[in-house]
Amino acid sequence: MSGKIIVITSGKGGVGKTTATASIGAALALEGKKVAVVDMDIGLRNLDVVMGLENRIVFNIVDIVNGRCKVKQAAIKDRRIDNLFLIPASQSDNKDALTPEGVVGVSEELKEEFDYTLMDCPAGIEQGFENSIAAADEAVVVCTPDVSAVRDADRVIGLLYARSITPKLIVNRIVPLMVERGDMLSHEDMVDVLSVELAGLVPMDDNVVVSTNTGVPLVLQKESKAGSAFRRIARRLNGQNDLPIVVPQSQDRFWKKIGSRLGIGR
Amino acid sequence: MKKNSGQEKTPVRLKGLGKALCITLDPRDPFDYLKDELVKQFQDKKQLAVNTKIVFDFGGFQGYDDLIVELSAFLKEQFAVGDVSGPLKSKPKHANRPKRLEDMEKSWHKYQSEALILSGRVRSGQKAAAGKHLIILGDVNPGAEVIAGGDILVLGSLRGTAIAGNPDNEESIILALDFRPTQVQIGGYVAAGNPSSAEKMIEFAHIEQGTIVVEDYLKADPFGKIPWPQVR
Ligand SMILES: Nc1ncnc2c1ncn2[C@@H]1O[C@H](COP(=O)(O)OP(=O)(O)OP(=O)(O)O)[C@@H](O)[C@H]1O
Ligand SMILES: [Mg+2]
Repeated sequence: MSGKIIVITSGKGGVGKTTATASIGAALALEGKKVAVVDMDIGLRNLDVVMGLENRIVFNIVDIVNGRCKVKQAAIKDRRIDNLFLIPASQSDNKDALTPEGVVGVSEELKEEFDYTLMDCPAGIEQGFENSIAAADEAVVVCTPDVSAVRDADRVIGLLYARSITPKLIVNRIVPLMVERGDMLSHEDMVDVLSVELAGLVPMDDNVVVSTNTGVPLVLQKESKAGSAFRRIARRLNGQNDLPIVVPQSQDRFWKKIGSRLGIGR
Repeated sequence: MKKNSGQEKTPVRLKGLGKALCITLDPRDPFDYLKDELVKQFQDKKQLAVNTKIVFDFGGFQGYDDLIVELSAFLKEQFAVGDVSGPLKSKPKHANRPKRLEDMEKSWHKYQSEALILSGRVRSGQKAAAGKHLIILGDVNPGAEVIAGGDILVLGSLRGTAIAGNPDNEESIILALDFRPTQVQIGGYVAAGNPSSAEKMIEFAHIEQGTIVVEDYLKADPFGKIPWPQVR
């Protein structure tokens, strides 16, 4: 088995990399793939918390790279989803504990073991970024609809192209009502500047916080719009390229449309 | 070597040459004609001319030292110009070519291309620099920087920072098909970008009386007034 390593990155912090990694990882596993999500944020790990697995950590990615354990020993099986594994970050080591060469050194073992390895990249473009992209075959850039996130995403996209990686874009935390009112950047405006292929559009969704607090994966929550957006993104990354992009809509607009069709609107 | 009086005369031209002014004329034209032409040319540049160094370009014709002395005296008296110097040495093979023919046909052939042409998107954090002119076939994103010793032409959208005429060429322009830069600088002058105008037009920035001005390029047609192609 030779799998793929996909890095989830953004430049700017707090835009939803960890949320995206956990959700896409879970969705790919639900598609029947064997998936590892790797927390590359050394010293500031939180993917384990988001997935509700913090109490099972024994080994971490630094241990794997330094040869203290095998990939299989460090990978923690998810409680709910088969085929989904977490490789946590080390909380105690500092950022220099990993090197790009070290990560590349274990990439074959990861690809042997898993169909997909998702690297949850830390914010910024320093050492942690370099480590995360070192072994990546593909990249997904997460960006929120604001000018500074776009600026940082653009920087990261440039750095990825410089390493011959063609990234795809996820726009996260879209508030359709604000976009319709012109108070928020539209995804078209963002693609216009960033000029990369869209992997998907994810709306702002309270279920994200609920999921983090309860440990129930977002993609298992039937009602979650963000969850279904991430499921579609996973299918698209898994080769279903023709799956159409769904643009998040506000309820408001939905009712307006029906209204006008029945002739009761203004 | 005097031309026949019936022969067509060559227009006198004035051109900025760094901090100096370069006057191109045909030294074989009658002195009165040259004087008249100079008055015409200097009329609307009076302030500019005061104490400015003048360089004559006789289109390759040698041996008109008397004319230089005469013209120098005339310009100093009329317009209080600074130092006046003669033609730069030019290659003898052009000596007998009328200047206008040279200009219209070939004058630019001997120039190596001095424009750097790049295609693609310049992204945030990236910097594209050229010693002289810079042409971007593509877009310049917010957070990106384009720098040139001469002009910057963006055949696309300019949203980042553009620095033309770096460090001190105030003649340079910045042009974009979609002009909405974060900031522009020309020859040391700085201007903050404005939201682009509502209607789609090709705009360019240049220096006018010590400030950066942005205008509709096709309407202003700044180079259409030059009667024949020149090397820029
Ligand atoms: N679609 C969404 N709807 C609502 N909240 C969201 C959404 N996506 C992310 N969030 C919230 O935004 C916050 C930041 O998300 P997350 O931790 O995934 O970002 P990150 O890019 O990994 O941050 P860091 O750079 O610190 O690692 C979290 O509180 C998360 O719950
Ligand atoms: Mg994170």
